[in-house]
Amino acid sequence: MTLLSYLLRRLVGFAAVLIGVSIITFGLSHLVPTDPAVVALGDHATDEQIDAFREKYGLNKPVPEQYRIYVTTLLHGDLGISLRTRRPVADDLHDFFPATFELSLTALILSILIGIPAGVVSATARNRLPDHVVRIVSLIGGSVPIFWLGLILIGFFYGRLGWLPGGARIDKFIPPPPMVTGLFTVDSLLAGNSEAFWSSVHHLLLPALALGYFSTAIIARMMRSSMLEVLPQMYVLAARAKGLRQRRVVWRHAARNALIPAVTTIGVTFGSLLSGAVLTETIFSWPGLGRYATSSAINLDFPAVMGVTLLAALVYTATNLIVDVGYQWLDPRIRHG
Amino acid sequence: MYQSKPSISMILISIALVILTACSPVAPTAAPEGPQATEAPPEAPVTEAPTEAPAATEAPISVENTLSVASNISDLITLDPAVVYEYSGILVTHNVYQTLVTFVGSDLQTITPGLADSWETVDADDHWELTFKLHPGNTFASGNPITADDVVYSFNRAIAINGPPAFLFTGVAGLTADSVTAVDPETVLINLPKTASPAAFLAVLTNTIASVVDSKEVMAHETGDDNGTTWLQDHSAGSGAYVLDHWTKEVEVLLTANPNFNGDKPALSSVLISHVPESANQLTQLQVGDADIALNLTAEQLATLSGDATSVQGADLRLFYLGMNVAKPPLDKVEVREALRMAIDYDGIVNDLLSGNAQKVQTIIPSPMFGYNSDAPFQQDVEGAKALLEQAGVSDLNLEMLIPDGAAPGGVQWSDLAAKLQSDWDQAGMTVTIKQVSFAELLDAYRAQGAELALLYWGPDFADPDTNVTPFTDYEANSIAWRNSWNDPDIAAQAKAAAIMTDAAEREAAYKEITEYVLHNGPYAVLYQPAALFGVRSTVQGFEWNPMGFTDFWSIIKIA
Repeated sequence: MTLLSYLLRRLVGFAAVLIGVSIITFGLSHLVPTDPAVVALGDHATDEQIDAFREKYGLNKPVPEQYRIYVTTLLHGDLGISLRTRRPVADDLHDFFPATFELSLTALILSILIGIPAGVVSATARNRLPDHVVRIVSLIGGSVPIFWLGLILIGFFYGRLGWLPGGARIDKFIPPPPMVTGLFTVDSLLAGNSEAFWSSVHHLLLPALALGYFSTAIIARMMRSSMLEVLPQMYVLAARAKGLRQRRVVWRHAARNALIPAVTTIGVTFGSLLSGAVLTETIFSWPGLGRYATSSAINLDFPAVMGVTLLAALVYTATNLIVDVGYQWLDPRIRHG
Repeated sequence: MYQSKPSISMILISIALVILTACSPVAPTAAPEGPQATEAPPEAPVTEAPTEAPAATEAPISVENTLSVASNISDLITLDPAVVYEYSGILVTHNVYQTLVTFVGSDLQTITPGLADSWETVDADDHWELTFKLHPGNTFASGNPITADDVVYSFNRAIAINGPPAFLFTGVAGLTADSVTAVDPETVLINLPKTASPAAFLAVLTNTIASVVDSKEVMAHETGDDNGTTWLQDHSAGSGAYVLDHWTKEVEVLLTANPNFNGDKPALSSVLISHVPESANQLTQLQVGDADIALNLTAEQLATLSGDATSVQGADLRLFYLGMNVAKPPLDKVEVREALRMAIDYDGIVNDLLSGNAQKVQTIIPSPMFGYNSDAPFQQDVEGAKALLEQAGVSDLNLEMLIPDGAAPGGVQWSDLAAKLQSDWDQAGMTVTIKQVSFAELLDAYRAQGAELALLYWGPDFADPDTNVTPFTDYEANSIAWRNSWNDPDIAAQAKAAAIMTDAAEREAAYKEITEYVLHNGPYAVLYQPAALFGVRSTVQGFEWNPMGFTDFWSIIKIA
């Protein structure tokens, strides 16, 4: 089966996943025994105002009817109006998603760049100092809460040393670059604005480090154990017997094969980075989707919750697809059938 | 077979190269040294220059001329004065728009001239007539003159939009589309029905809903029949000390000085309110000097301030209270309610639980509002409470108390406050089980008269005692009294009469009587009134918090 037809089949799967996710999210959010109109209008609202709000946003209709209306408008590319911000959900997602994506992607890149070599080094130096260091550091990474880590990083690098900014995407006295991709680093490069670029890189470091520490630790541990499985294999021995240098044996023969489980982890990690961004975004005043999602959920903002969930499902499935294609590329014996 | 493909080390190296390339400074040719004004990237898409203030400020914003405020502004959904009813939104619009009359600084007792120089209230038999004389020669930031027509337009616009604060005009003041007229370009006549209180209405007129908008500007930006709400959501058309430069959602609001302001030019030419949701981060920004004022610090965080920053206290008009539903026996017995009130250790709550950052207030009008009654007769009296229960013939009292989850405004966890009450009552032999639910769930039950005991707070809508007394006393108002099933027509009638009194002394006496009655007969135990706490750099002077939830940025200066 060619890659193209495989991708097409997966795309059909995408649609099924999205429909399933939409039904479950819609059903779950309407199981909540509270009235979003009361949440939106608060303590002082009169009964008339609450009724008018329900009427305006169709909350007085039966749930299946509400779902039908939602799906119909969704098929027209309309995600509805947020009950909280009173703006189209699509506009909100468009404003907030790039910030989260940039942060998660940076965190992921940092985790891969640090986690994989750390795992390899740790495995090859098993039970020696480098191994112990990696294991301790990753044990801490796996157990430290992001919230605490974020505050410590801010307190030290921003509050004490003053080396890095403690929040936001860019310096408050530097205008952000014109929006093209929504990623400040990319957009400022496109605009040829080095000041904005450096400022956004600076602002990315601490939150990406805080967010990426956990996944770095997971990737390092996964890489280590998978290297430990691979290293005693016959083909590694054969490579050594051929007289290849240790570095070549480790990196080209062993590491490549050890990567498959790590790639799976990376895929899953990216999803968890997106969701872990909620806390990181709060601590670092990062105007991303995580905070939007939390506020929406707390305020029973159904259209916004639906929008965020669908977008998250889309990102997850896309990541899975990339991971699956990645397997084949790493190990051509894996054929997608 | 893998030789033909790039090795893993090569992949890693390429990724690293990409990152390094991305991290290296932009090619020198693209970034010439020297003045770069023409090269500079255009403003962010959201930072459209306000049309009403061409070349408002020559000097770019800098640390020296900017007041940096760190605040959690996630509640911000609009900056249209006819729609805004959120804390952050009111803080911003208060500094961008002007009202006919206003309060100055932290005062809530004296209504002072705003856009109107003078006003008078006349009893015209079946209605009240309020006449306002506008100060001649005032202009909006756009340069358009401020006329009586703008006032009529603004008020009718707020009524037509019918946003969250509209009830202040239509409900409290009973205004309709015909109530406000322009007698001449400098005179506005407002007819109030006799059921409305002129004093309460004057207080309503200090609220942001009564902001006068530039009718020409707004009408030029109407889309369909939206009355300009879409445009005003993130633009300004006012005459206040500042104009809105931009609002980037979940990031910041930038205000710049209004070049056509009719008052003294503000010392600081811009105000940047940055969204910092985490209070620990606000604290660090304040300590480092990146923020001049932090609005959401906890009492513990403020206690750590020293040297460069200090804690400033203001009033917060919210009253934390316990609602007792009289439809749920034995809460129908006045002795039982009094026993519950009597068993509470109010001093312990204020001094220990809130570290003194609250005021012991037990009546239903908060301090320092007109009509505030400082009477606070209750302090834990276990024996007295037991005696009252015995008198009521109640032996094994067992009640359920609904409380919201999370932290209560004022820096205490709802659950801690509830646990304290529970243990106080327990000493007097009263068993109360705590049920913690979401705030929305609590409101749902409370609004449907479904709670036995409910712990929550009430914040006033405008700076007149009527904003608390009517909801707390009038069953028909369908608010707090109704939610606690407390139907006392006599006290409701007294409240109605007090609301429309025009003689201040007589009115004050009436409120004293009402608050005294509710204190012992009503279905409430008012627990305390929290303090509003802020962290302020010592370089900042003139910061004063108005209890209605705003500050006059134009009065603030920064010293070197």
